Amino acid sequence: MLAFLVPLAGLLVLSLRPTDAMNNPLPGLTLAQYGEVFSTPYLWGSVVESLWLAVRVSLTCLVLGFPVAWYLARSTSPVGKAVVFVVTLSPLLTSEVVRSFGWRVVMAGEGPVNVALQALGLTDESLPLLRSPWTVFLAVVHVLLPFAVLALSASLGAIDANLLRASADLGASGVRTFRSVVLPLATPGVVAALVIVFSLSMGVYVTPMLVGGANQSLAGLRIQTEAMVAFDQPRAAALSFVLLTVTLVGCALIGLLGRAAERGRRG
Amino acid sequence: MEIRGLSVGYGGPPVLELDELTIEAGEFVSVLGPSGCGKSTLLSVLAGFVAPTTGTVAIDGQDVTHVAPNRRETGLVFQSYALFPHMTVRRNLEYGLRTRRVPRAERDERVADALRLVHLSDYADRYPQQLSGGQQQRVAIARALVTRPRVLLLDEPLSNLDAKLRRQMRHELRELQREVGTTTVFVTHDQAEALALSDRVALLAHGGLEQLGTPEELYRAPRTRFTADFVARRTCCRCARRTGGARCWAAPSRAPSGPRPSRCVPSTSCSSTPPAPRPPTVPAPGTVPRAHGPVRGLHGRALRVPPARRRRHRAARVPARHAALRRGRAGRDHVVRRRPPAPRDGDVTTPPVPADPAAEAPASAPCGRRDAGASCAVTSRRSRPPRSSCWRSSCRSPVSSC
Repeated sequence: MLAFLVPLAGLLVLSLRPTDAMNNPLPGLTLAQYGEVFSTPYLWGSVVESLWLAVRVSLTCLVLGFPVAWYLARSTSPVGKAVVFVVTLSPLLTSEVVRSFGWRVVMAGEGPVNVALQALGLTDESLPLLRSPWTVFLAVVHVLLPFAVLALSASLGAIDANLLRASADLGASGVRTFRSVVLPLATPGVVAALVIVFSLSMGVYVTPMLVGGANQSLAGLRIQTEAMVAFDQPRAAALSFVLLTVTLVGCALIGLLGRAAERGRRG
Repeated sequence: MEIRGLSVGYGGPPVLELDELTIEAGEFVSVLGPSGCGKSTLLSVLAGFVAPTTGTVAIDGQDVTHVAPNRRETGLVFQSYALFPHMTVRRNLEYGLRTRRVPRAERDERVADALRLVHLSDYADRYPQQLSGGQQQRVAIARALVTRPRVLLLDEPLSNLDAKLRRQMRHELRELQREVGTTTVFVTHDQAEALALSDRVALLAHGGLEQLGTPEELYRAPRTRFTADFVARRTCCRCARRTGGARCWAAPSRAPSGPRPSRCVPSTSCSSTPPAPRPPTVPAPGTVPRAHGPVRGLHGRALRVPPARRRRHRAARVPARHAALRRGRAGRDHVVRRRPPAPRDGDVTTPPVPADPAAEAPASAPCGRRDAGASCAVTSRRSRPPRSSCWRSSCRSPVSSC
């Protein structure tokens, strides 16, 4: 806790420092950096872009992860379970760099995807897939899906199988059982999965940089540019804090939504 | 409900095979058996969760073998109750009505009726985890009954309750079933439960039907050694090595009117010479018939009891056994010892215990009048041996009525 809070406090102080012409931090406290962040579309636009990416990624991970988690939690076949488990977790077993370079290879101008698309006659020339934001989106989903699956399968596995049988015995169809029994009981897992994936994708940095290049409008990349290229550390710190606040507010909203959903179903 | 030629195997050798089992409308049938005998599988098949390899299941003459669980209209009560934890008691009960699209007014009425039936009207807005085990169990039954199922299926619903509550609940369960009149299949491994509750008992063993009959039949006329052993452990005598010449049967055999077990094997450790037959004692109406053979102690050892005392011992034993049989129904076992020392019971000619406790009431009346002052057999053994059928009343209200 201390190891986490002390650097964070240092960063907060840094973000409040004014800078000289060479971007060196000066003593004193000012909100000028935050003013700069909120008045420059280049900077706040990246936070909005990150937020939009995070929302898409978390919802996609939820939708894709649910069936996988369901299978992991409910299947009785140990072999099938093991295979699905390893395949799902494989992104966690390889380095993020290697994984991202994998996407580069697949999505390259002469890569298998382009070759396949051309062979199918869907496109005549090779597409600039690597520059497309959708490739970055796919790569980030790929990285974060295991977290969603793990969080969901834990809470789905905790649902008593007899509840599902009881529901069927009381005349409920599969859809109804899912809506009235599975989903309400899985709400904590859904919230956990969303929070994890959302906060991780808000700060995602390595994967988009390696897949789509450093020139994208994403908060993580902008912070890196500010800190390491422009050497404006207070501004990078200010941007970080804006990003952190947005992330925390987002997580709180997810939690509130989850609770509202639970209460709504009860009342 | 009719089951024919049923065979169930989970992708392997059959774990359950039933040629035929017919359950009449309104009947309360227990499926009794040791664990692993296939009784839970049978229930799963009836509810539709497990598809049989061969055979058919019909409810009300309609073949439901391939009907999905949610269209079978069975009411299943789980051993773990399986109440929806995120719904109140009321919502739990409403669930089955909502899926059937019952209009709101009728739904409210039926839920209220069901709650009244199980005496839980005040608990409608609680969550299951706020209720005790017995209350949860009643909610589970109410939830199954509120949909008016064609068959009520109970999967060891009492096994999660403590002993005292279990006896109370099984009494209530039976009363409830009588009141509602729903055909009921009750799965249990507890023979006392099965005997106390059912119209008929289906004893399963090794994935097959061992014997089907009324509790009385199973208890008194077990057809196989397994039945004798499992259902009526007390009628199966253990052979005492010390009493040479005694021949032991696995079931009461020489009682004048008692049915003789056909397939009970004499205990191998006994001498093959049967004892000299005694003249059958025909009991005077309303008297306690005598026991045959030497009086035995706990483990079948003959007790050396002076003849004068012997009589008293025998007489004392009869009520103990019948009280044991009746224990569940009446919920009174404070006079019953866990293992009555009666391995050899020749005296089962006492009239069958009526299923309804209310029917026992008249029996106590003449007793009380005829020998006022006589104390009752079970409660105080030191007094005079009881006359007339006073043992019945003795179990209800020991001394006062005799």
